[in-house]
Amino acid sequence: MTTNGQQKRPQIRKKDLSLWQLSYIPEIIKGMFLTFKQILRPKFTRQYPEEHWTPPSSYRGRPVLVEEDGVERCVACGLCARVCPALAIEVQASETEELAKERYPERFEINMLRCIFCGFCEEACPEEAIVMSNEYELVFSNQEDAIFGKEKLLMTTEQLKERLEFLKESR
Amino acid sequence: MSTRTLEEPVRSRILSALEDQDTTVTLDPLENKMVLNMGPQHPATHGVLRLLVRLDGETVTGCVPELGYLHRGYEKIAENSTYHEFIPHTDRLDYLSPLANNVGYVLAVEKLLGLEVPERAQYIRVLCCEMARIASHLVAAGTMAMDVGALTVLLWTFREREKLMDIYDVLTGARFTTSYTRIGGLAQDWTPPATEMLKTFLGEFERDLAEVEQLLYANRIFVDRCENVGLISPQEAVSLGMTGPILRGCGIARDLRKDKPYLVYPDLDFDVITYPEGDALARFYVRMEETKQSARILRQALDKMPAGPIHANETKRVLPRKERIYTRMEELIHDFMLINLGVDPPVGEVYQAIESSKGELGFFLVSDGTANPWRLKIRTPSTANLGALPVMVKGGMISDIVVVIGSIDPVMGEADK
Ligand code: SF4
Ligand code: SF4
Repeated sequence: MTTNGQQKRPQIRKKDLSLWQLSYIPEIIKGMFLTFKQILRPKFTRQYPEEHWTPPSSYRGRPVLVEEDGVERCVACGLCARVCPALAIEVQASETEELAKERYPERFEINMLRCIFCGFCEEACPEEAIVMSNEYELVFSNQEDAIFGKEKLLMTTEQLKERLEFLKESR
Repeated sequence: MSTRTLEEPVRSRILSALEDQDTTVTLDPLENKMVLNMGPQHPATHGVLRLLVRLDGETVTGCVPELGYLHRGYEKIAENSTYHEFIPHTDRLDYLSPLANNVGYVLAVEKLLGLEVPERAQYIRVLCCEMARIASHLVAAGTMAMDVGALTVLLWTFREREKLMDIYDVLTGARFTTSYTRIGGLAQDWTPPATEMLKTFLGEFERDLAEVEQLLYANRIFVDRCENVGLISPQEAVSLGMTGPILRGCGIARDLRKDKPYLVYPDLDFDVITYPEGDALARFYVRMEETKQSARILRQALDKMPAGPIHANETKRVLPRKERIYTRMEELIHDFMLINLGVDPPVGEVYQAIESSKGELGFFLVSDGTANPWRLKIRTPSTANLGALPVMVKGGMISDIVVVIGSIDPVMGEADK
């Protein structure tokens, strides 16, 4: 810890202000000039919801289950439920003979009121079965609606193409 | 209704209700003293800070800040979650610079585990920290200017911050809840679009900041409101444990990036900004100049960032790469083990601090060898800095409290944990 071994930096204090500056007049003129200059600048705001925002492929929207050839990829290993810091996921596993995999989730629920969109489930999943979509508009009118079951969670690989490609490149 | 018209028992009941262990209300024959509650919903307290202020006329004679309205028990939550699971919680500490918190926390965990991340990851983390510092200082400068009446500045600094938020979006996938760092690495690599966006931002940043300077620096109202307000001497500042721009605004060049270097800061060239005056105006200048130094660091880091891996080469402690999980048994097992059982830290304790935008942000981890921390103590700068508030406002005017809070720049998410 050293006490001020620095060169003096610019600073304007009361004693540095000239009489002209103290009269407020130049500041009012300057302030008005700067403010009106903003009118000529390109607009920075977006007219949401008329103008929609398309998130980049890195965006973590609501987590969804990947559907491939009509069934979910998930093998109900439960890793996503384990890693979820918000304890939002519930998986109930069951066994099957008909599919290529032995296990499948009989019930898969994400409580969207709990989910914090951290993306840990996507990162942990060994099957790339749960990924973050680019949907960010979530509205519910009651708590039950916020618990998304498989029917709301499943999304086809076509719909998720961009995100899956992003994951392939970056993870 | 004036208390003078009340009956004596009613009056003493009211007085005793206003009192607590820190504040005493004495009967004053002239009736010019009063105890005022400021906050927790006051717009100038930057969150949910409650101040109990004792006034003599308009002069502040005593002040007790009361913290804890935003307490979420993060230190306790950490004891019940694995080291990995706690990362998203760090976003929500200092919610103006989530990326810096992410970095600080994983640095502590990595120190405990004895992990060293590759150089590229270190550079990316430096970029994260400095972007977070600029974003946070912009909000601090904007809100402080707003508190003294210059609303325009707030909108302009928020516009600049918004550009940084867009970079976060591309880089981490979220504007605010970034959760970007991982134990031994990062969630994903720095991308060329992020470089482009950051370069564009840096190209315009100083020009746009100059507009803010033109508006405020020679502005008599701003100078009058901030000069000699919230004075604190270097001795007091040190003994109260203050850090960050406030301490540097007292002329003490304490900066952990120089004094206790972490990451690749020794390879980067920047100045520690100090101003000797110790008042609100000096703190404002420190923040404004620090954003320029951060921009300087960002430029250097972008140039120097090497190519290479971003994850430490330690398969049993760092989450494996996805394509290997899909194709190889060993990595699949590691994925399962790491997620289910967590990392296996050695028994011991570490303290790792970073210079966040507000000051020294430290994480003290005590490990008993299990996957959860036995104890995690978070040393947050806002808590310590708020401790100096009574000293700063005492003897000043009541309207100056607002300026002083703005100049301390507390974030209650961090102060209350
Ligand atoms: S989504 Fe993935 S991690 Fe979750 S249960 Fe299914 S396979 Fe396992
Ligand atoms: S995104 Fe995070 S909080 Fe949401 S379900 Fe996945 S792991 Fe849980």
